[in-house]
Amino acid sequence: MLRSTPRARRALVTAAASLLISGCTVVGPDGAGQPGVPADRAAQDRLLKAAEHRLVVDCLADQGLTLTARARAPDEDRTLQAALFGAGPRELSVTLATGATVTAHEDGCLAAARARLYGDARRWFRAQVTVGNLRAEAQARMRDDPAHQEALARWTRCATPTDRPRPAGPDPTVAARCAQESGLDDVRARLEAVELLVVRTLHRDQLTAYRQLRDRALLRAAELPAPTPPQKGHDPS
Amino acid sequence: MKRILALSAAALFAVTAGLALSTSAGAAECPSGEFCVWQDSNFGGQRANWSGDDGWWESWISDTDSSWANHGISGPGIKDHVKVYESAWQGGDMTICLAPGQEVGYNGAANDRGDSHIWSTGC
Repeated sequence: MLRSTPRARRALVTAAASLLISGCTVVGPDGAGQPGVPADRAAQDRLLKAAEHRLVVDCLADQGLTLTARARAPDEDRTLQAALFGAGPRELSVTLATGATVTAHEDGCLAAARARLYGDARRWFRAQVTVGNLRAEAQARMRDDPAHQEALARWTRCATPTDRPRPAGPDPTVAARCAQESGLDDVRARLEAVELLVVRTLHRDQLTAYRQLRDRALLRAAELPAPTPPQKGHDPS
Repeated sequence: MKRILALSAAALFAVTAGLALSTSAGAAECPSGEFCVWQDSNFGGQRANWSGDDGWWESWISDTDSSWANHGISGPGIKDHVKVYESAWQGGDMTICLAPGQEVGYNGAANDRGDSHIWSTGC
């Protein structure tokens, strides 16, 4: 994981804040305004998922498979898994700053659908995995902060019973009360905001790639031809 | 007590959890539509799988998780991403967020730390 000294961290935060103030936001404008691309972020997400779903369904249909929610026999489900998620070596791999190496297959209908929508499957995989785990990275960095460690120690003392053995997990009500009383909630909120700024600055190249590829996918999703309605009755020919 | 709460969680979140023993060292054997967690790295050992949320994993997999795979199926409005948390009820830090088709064979930072997960529309 990337570590930084307090001085380097302050410099990163300052740089991140400057980027935001200057309008050079990390996740900038999207494909809104283009024909067929909705302005609303949630509607864009729905458009992308609908396009991906349709491409996947068409790809599976070419192999005689369907995505119905019915229960499948293990062998039948393995066939679907291989067709949908891919099989064999995992060609896509990204190691995050948290230490996790996220992998995926480059074959399979899901990968094919994403390649068609986003254009560059490897670049999209790297950008999506990195951006999707910025919060996890920020929270991992937060754990190293002495203020967080001190607040966590206060929380542990608060949540540990004095009259009986410590349970495997605290009662949710006790956990919430101790998070308030120990100041852990406040410390986490403050540090997480700072560390999010830092990791967004560290990964601004991936954030830019994410935005660019998403914009491209929105255009491609909007341009997908309407699905062919299912044939009814007999072919007259 | 934890068992009772876990069962309550199952009812609350309509959890459909499964348990299987996997010996696979290659492809992650995880049913389509489900999120799978293994006790061993590289998708080995006992496996838990869920199609829904679980606010407090069963004790045998809680804090013993070593590899993860999201075999969720996407669709418009479908919660197909999975967020894993270090504490029950999606508390504490999020250790990993996986989109459909993504897997993690081992993660030193998240190893043996998972306690709960939730499906969401994105990370």
